[in-house]
Amino acid sequence: MRYAFVHTTHYSYSDAVPLCQNQVHLKPRDSDRQICHAHELAISPVPFKVDESRDFFGNPIHFFTLQDRHELLSITSRGEVELRELPSAAPDDTGPWEKVVGLPDGPDGMPLDVRQFVYDSPHVALSSELADYTRESFPPDRPWLAGVLELMSRIHQDFAYDPTATNISTPLETVLVLRRGVCQDFAHLQLGCLRSLGLPARYVSGYLRTTPPAGQPRLIGADASHAWVSAWCPEFGWIDFDPTNDVVPSQGHITVAWGRDYSDVCPINGVFIGGGEHSMKVAVDVEPIPS
Amino acid sequence: MNPTQLARGPLPADSLLGQYKPPAGVYDELVESDGTLRPQWREFLSLLDGLGGSELERRWDQARRLIHENGITYNVHGDPQGRDRRWELDALPLVLAHSEWSQLASGLEQRARLLNAILADLYGPQQLLAEGLLPAELVFAHPGFLRPCHGYNVPEDCHLHLYAAHLARSPEGNWWVVADRSQAAVGPGYAVENRIVISRMLPHIFHHCRVQRLAGFFIALREQLGELARRHREQPQIVLLSPGPSSMTYFEDAYLSRYLGYTLVEGEDLTVRDNRVFLKTLGGLMSVDAVLRRVMDDDCDPLELNTRSRVGVPGLVHAARSGNVVVANALGSGLVEAPALMAFLPEICRRLLGEELRVPSVRTWWCGDESSRRFVLSNLERLVVGPAFLSHTHRPVHAATLDRAERQQLAAEIEATPGRFVAQELVVRSTAPVWNDAALHPGHIALRAFVVASEDSYQLMPGALAHVSSSASNLGESLFVGHGSKDVWVLSDGPVAPVTLLQPPGTPLAPRRSGVDLPSRVADNLFWLGRHVERAEGTARLLRSVFSRLISEAAPGTMGELALLYRALCGPLSPPEGEVAGEGTVSTMELLVMEFLYDEHQPGSLQSILSGLGRVAKVVRDRISLDSWRILMRVDDDFRPKAGAVSPADVLAMLNQMILNFSAFAGVATENMTRGPGWQFLELGRRIERALILIGVLRSTLYHVSSSESAVLEALLEIADSSMTYRNRYATNLQLAPVLDLLLTDETNPRAIAFQLAALTGHVERLPRSPGEPLLSDEQRLVLAVLSAVRLADVQKLAEADEHGVRHELDALLQGGASKLRELASAVSHKYLVHAGPAHQLTEIRLG
Repeated sequence: MRYAFVHTTHYSYSDAVPLCQNQVHLKPRDSDRQICHAHELAISPVPFKVDESRDFFGNPIHFFTLQDRHELLSITSRGEVELRELPSAAPDDTGPWEKVVGLPDGPDGMPLDVRQFVYDSPHVALSSELADYTRESFPPDRPWLAGVLELMSRIHQDFAYDPTATNISTPLETVLVLRRGVCQDFAHLQLGCLRSLGLPARYVSGYLRTTPPAGQPRLIGADASHAWVSAWCPEFGWIDFDPTNDVVPSQGHITVAWGRDYSDVCPINGVFIGGGEHSMKVAVDVEPIPS
Repeated sequence: MNPTQLARGPLPADSLLGQYKPPAGVYDELVESDGTLRPQWREFLSLLDGLGGSELERRWDQARRLIHENGITYNVHGDPQGRDRRWELDALPLVLAHSEWSQLASGLEQRARLLNAILADLYGPQQLLAEGLLPAELVFAHPGFLRPCHGYNVPEDCHLHLYAAHLARSPEGNWWVVADRSQAAVGPGYAVENRIVISRMLPHIFHHCRVQRLAGFFIALREQLGELARRHREQPQIVLLSPGPSSMTYFEDAYLSRYLGYTLVEGEDLTVRDNRVFLKTLGGLMSVDAVLRRVMDDDCDPLELNTRSRVGVPGLVHAARSGNVVVANALGSGLVEAPALMAFLPEICRRLLGEELRVPSVRTWWCGDESSRRFVLSNLERLVVGPAFLSHTHRPVHAATLDRAERQQLAAEIEATPGRFVAQELVVRSTAPVWNDAALHPGHIALRAFVVASEDSYQLMPGALAHVSSSASNLGESLFVGHGSKDVWVLSDGPVAPVTLLQPPGTPLAPRRSGVDLPSRVADNLFWLGRHVERAEGTARLLRSVFSRLISEAAPGTMGELALLYRALCGPLSPPEGEVAGEGTVSTMELLVMEFLYDEHQPGSLQSILSGLGRVAKVVRDRISLDSWRILMRVDDDFRPKAGAVSPADVLAMLNQMILNFSAFAGVATENMTRGPGWQFLELGRRIERALILIGVLRSTLYHVSSSESAVLEALLEIADSSMTYRNRYATNLQLAPVLDLLLTDETNPRAIAFQLAALTGHVERLPRSPGEPLLSDEQRLVLAVLSAVRLADVQKLAEADEHGVRHELDALLQGGASKLRELASAVSHKYLVHAGPAHQLTEIRLG
């Protein structure tokens, strides 16, 4: 299935900004489940130069600097992504979770590019509290996939979606106590849970289709950027889990970038001088393209 | 070894070696275990004996004064006042033999090469991880592994330009590396400063002992960076990036920048445009080719690294990635500071260099490795446990100092997150003689050695920074935990050729004049230095008039003018129309005025002004002459409140001295400062402030006609240092109009307001102008407006009062002048000094 997406971000400042440096993760990466067929980044005012490269995780990344005074900044990322059907896995199709934890390093065990996702990261501090919460879903010898699915469902049940309860710098331990948050918090939470047992898991940022297929409910996070997690097992490689909606994404989750947590793949990262007060507006629109 | 040294006879009976008794079980640098002097010390000690203890003591006193006056200080961490503590130095150097040092040199050069090769691998192909020579966790869980710095070309693959090894000597006499510092090596500047002090104190001994010079090390550093920067252009611009005056190492930052001839900058002085780094100067943006950074890795770029950093340069990583600037050391080089890495160095050294590691590290076990963890847990009480990666929040603990419960707690933490811990052998340090109470005493020694990249390899500074402490624990972890330091003398095996940084080899220097390349921030600081100096002097003069009246016999009769002077002290906060505070007795007045001396929280007090002056002076330390700096240090020293009650007579003497010191400062500025933009901004600040202060005093004292008018006029002449001129012109006949002429409109009197305005006219004309500007700049208009008003004023009319005894016309003129001068100050700031302010983050995006 093909999707067209448009992601627009507007900033406005009360005073002119003479200089603004930016680094953005807005172009969807290619992977075994999707191909980005077309992409365009439109920036106003037009920057002197836009550099495109790849970050440490292989995500496309753009740099640009605005060097003339401006009171408005708008960044529009648009393109087309083709999603592929993935083979589905049943909860018992994987080996016990302990086997994943015990894998030796290396291409025949746990490859380095997987191993890197089992450690602490800036927004995900591992703790014994996280491990305690997780263990309930991971009794000895339970198949890995069964455990991860149950953990996702528990997070969905135990934590309320509440955009006012947390902000970007709320630590995971606070989220665990508050039992509320947004997709970012739930993604970080599930990452922390899995990693606290030694299971590799990464953060995925992306988009959901705006209007659900007929007869299905609209998902939370469809009108903005969304975030979910991807966890790894030797049998299937990386499998995505969306704890905010308690689903295993099959169709309609477009991946933009992945990393250890939000800090690695923040969609728009910018530093500016001056500007006074500033405000921001974001809109995301994702629709299937009829074939 | 020099045979003539060995041939010297026995030491005299009254040798300073006398009762020197090092503790048992440690290596002593001075004497062998049987008490015989080590050969490298013979010449030194016999010359020292020749000098004698009392002469050494006398010279040492002098040297300590020099240290103080040179202001070698470091900022005590966490002191919100930003007060400095004095650098502690020991009178005796640590003497090391040539042969021993060359061995260490080859080992530390190897270690620098090794760490550099590890950085090149980990920020590149990561073969070490693929081959299992380094556990993946040591890289991927390391907070210092900066992913944005991975995978771009570092010029010449040189990550480490400057590296410091912290060393200890074992009881067997072997040197061990106990820590590696690979981001910004702290200490080489202090090593030079120590050397200067000690070699001046013992010039004869220094000369005879053939001590190797340090300058070559800095020449190598300058050539290394110059070489890389010259690939960008023939005359490259290199800057030293400092975290700023609140940093612990600011003194050294300023010192090194001066010694190396690099512009000292802070993050806000630099900006990135078109993926290039520029320095903001009075004359506009100037391209920068290389940055010697003293800022920690993560703080260097708030865009791609720590978003909360206030001391970095947004876009620096991308400028480096684009190949447009050399950053030394390369961003991310802190990775190899991890203590856990030491456990793997011997293997990695064999693999990457094909060599055996020459200088061992202190024995280290990384608990993330299972067999190491088992060893650590069963030998805990013998080991020192610390963080695996460098962490500033956890200090290593010697498990033997913990009680049972604490030790169990530690073991449980290790079990829970083993990868975060390392254990190391307890470091036993050697001892060396310390000069204390006119005798030699043993002190424990930690050594910092410095290595610089040079052509294809590295070279060790032939000298080091030693730290000394009476106890062996905690030594060497930080420069700043209150220990003393030592100069380190590495002896030469041949004649020592003099080296100096002043005339570097190579291309002849083209003559240049200081011009508009002055960083805006520096101009700003000089402007404020001028204002603070003038404010301090003005306040001291005012206080002097008050105190001389308080202690005079006629004191009770002077209450009228004292009250007016007090109002002048209260400054702009008290409107001239208001009630005069402080009516009453001389003693209540004395109490009130004392607040304007020592009360830090009293706005306008001398104490608060001097604190402000001290802060500004510190940040322009590298821009003013040593003499100017010494004068300011003296002002501060003299001012400190003495213990016990302070008598007005003491205060008066102190104020007299302070005013003399400020005159000296003004004299040095006038006679010795180049008339560049720096001087111009200092002058702008001084002239504006001097005019504002006198305006304030005149308004406070002359608004109302006073019953003690002539006493007031006399005080005014005194404050403005114009009594003598007045007496020459008008004898003892005190009247307001001629006083006003002398203090307000006389352009030949350097204390008069008109004189300041005329001087300002000249300074404002010489400010850099952009080509499109109108004929008269805003600044010129403002000065001209005040000057014309003053020139047109009729002093006779200004002296007149209305029927209520109020001098409206005078006050209006003064008030108008003051507000225009304040406008001028802010216009100058806006146009030349403030460049759009600090950086902000775009609102972080909250996802659904």
